[in-house]
Amino acid sequence: MGPLMKSPFTRSPLFKPLLLAAAIAVLTAWLTPAQAAQPTGAAMAHTCAGCHGTQGKLGRVEFVPLAGMAETEFKRAMLDFRAGKRASTLMGHVANGFSDSEIDAMARYFASVK
Amino acid sequence: MLKRREFLQAGAALFCAAALPARATGATQAGAGHVVVIGGGVGGATAAKYLKLANPALRVTLIEANRTYIRPYGSSEVLTGHVGMDDLNVSYDALRSRYGIEFLFDRVVGFDPARRRVRTAGKRDIAYDKLIVSPGISLQYQAIPGYSEAAAASRAPSGWIPGPQTALLARQLQAMRPGGRFVIVAPPSPYRCPPGPYERAALVTEWLARHNPTAKVIIVDPKDSFVTDAGMQLGWHRLYGYNIPADYLKDMPADVVNSGRPAPIEWLRAKDGGTPRGIDSAALRVATDAGWIKADVLNVIPPMRAGKLAFDMGLTDAGGWCPVERRTFESTAHEHVFVIGDASIADAMPKSGFSANTQAKVTAQAVVNQLAGREPGEPIWENTCYALAGSDYGLFVADVFRLKDGKIAQISGQRYLPLDASKTRIRLAARYQQAWLKTFTEDCFA
Repeated sequence: MGPLMKSPFTRSPLFKPLLLAAAIAVLTAWLTPAQAAQPTGAAMAHTCAGCHGTQGKLGRVEFVPLAGMAETEFKRAMLDFRAGKRASTLMGHVANGFSDSEIDAMARYFASVK
Repeated sequence: MLKRREFLQAGAALFCAAALPARATGATQAGAGHVVVIGGGVGGATAAKYLKLANPALRVTLIEANRTYIRPYGSSEVLTGHVGMDDLNVSYDALRSRYGIEFLFDRVVGFDPARRRVRTAGKRDIAYDKLIVSPGISLQYQAIPGYSEAAAASRAPSGWIPGPQTALLARQLQAMRPGGRFVIVAPPSPYRCPPGPYERAALVTEWLARHNPTAKVIIVDPKDSFVTDAGMQLGWHRLYGYNIPADYLKDMPADVVNSGRPAPIEWLRAKDGGTPRGIDSAALRVATDAGWIKADVLNVIPPMRAGKLAFDMGLTDAGGWCPVERRTFESTAHEHVFVIGDASIADAMPKSGFSANTQAKVTAQAVVNQLAGREPGEPIWENTCYALAGSDYGLFVADVFRLKDGKIAQISGQRYLPLDASKTRIRLAARYQQAWLKTFTEDCFA
């Protein structure tokens, strides 16, 4: 720390706010384990397949097919289930197990399935 | 059948003279190799399919003793005639034709983990790069004094692994004398399909109300609680007039009032003396701490442990289940060998078909990554158990699981259908249970 503290940069009035911002960034990353250890979109999507079909492909009508669903539609549904804004049988319970960025990754996966 | 040491020697003896390459099949193409899957139940079938989905260049061989799978999930519906035995049959044709999985209908009788080979009763010697074993459960008939596999096959069926005992139990129920007693002996934990014994009790009670209205179902239980216990008992109360025990009553909706009249379904818990101490299969009665319980039809669901193959292959621990490294389900006993499904020790995950299905997918991807020289990814598993308190009254357990400090933890919170759920939600859960039987079978086998 010695040499750094003496540099012209450290004496700048911006240094303390910058240091604080850096510390917050490091702390936030550390406190958000989902960012470091997030399953792939495909891995998460595979957990849906028992009801919604392999890769979200489903010929039946009982459950919603997810393959090819628009990202915004998937995200809205999952976020509403998680917030309890949309009535569900058990999807509220399931959505509770996923972070925003994980829901994004699943949405990208299903949108990409042709 | 061979003893464990003989079993392992049967594998080793064949190969001791041969110098084999480090990679058992000498695969050269990056990420390619030969993965052998033993056991064509939910875990094994799903693993084989998802291996091919992840890397179609992989050679996948599934070794299974039976040419047709008989699904256990939903098999209690045979007892009430909702489906027939034939409806439980699942074909392996789609896995073979659609995904190019090679099938060997044979029994594994030898295992040489050092040389990565298995040997079958049909005298095939098969080399693998990675081996996924999905051995399922074995029923410990002899663990209850007086009970035996012979008694289960003739007098007091178990029907927990579907087959002739399921059909026998259905015939016994249908032939039961008017006013007879259908007694279910529930198993201690852990066991396959946690809500299953209680769903079976419910479906039989519903059927009896129509066909034998003075008959009764009694559950004799070595436990004081079970998965979905509050919701299931609320369903029994609403549908059959079941009297809810005082310790559960306090959490029930305000309109729930016990009639106090004898109900057609009764749950005799451990704390009420329900622990089964012995079976008299000739006289069809169960010894409990509360005395003898006489049955007209006796359905015994015995204690369970890992399937026999897991013991033969040396994959089990002292408790009778298979310890695994949780991220990949690689056996802690043998390198390059993975154990999935009911036989594995998976912490918070119940021994359910849905658990086996998602374990298979995580393990398939880990195996594909290992063969390609990549690290295993971050795992995620799920479980959904639908259960019925009546044919139009559905319940469920829904879980998301993650790896936490080296163990599998449930991270999604609330698991059950809430006790204040609307009638619509309860009916939908029942509809979804029926739909799930189809979509789930497709995800595993088609």
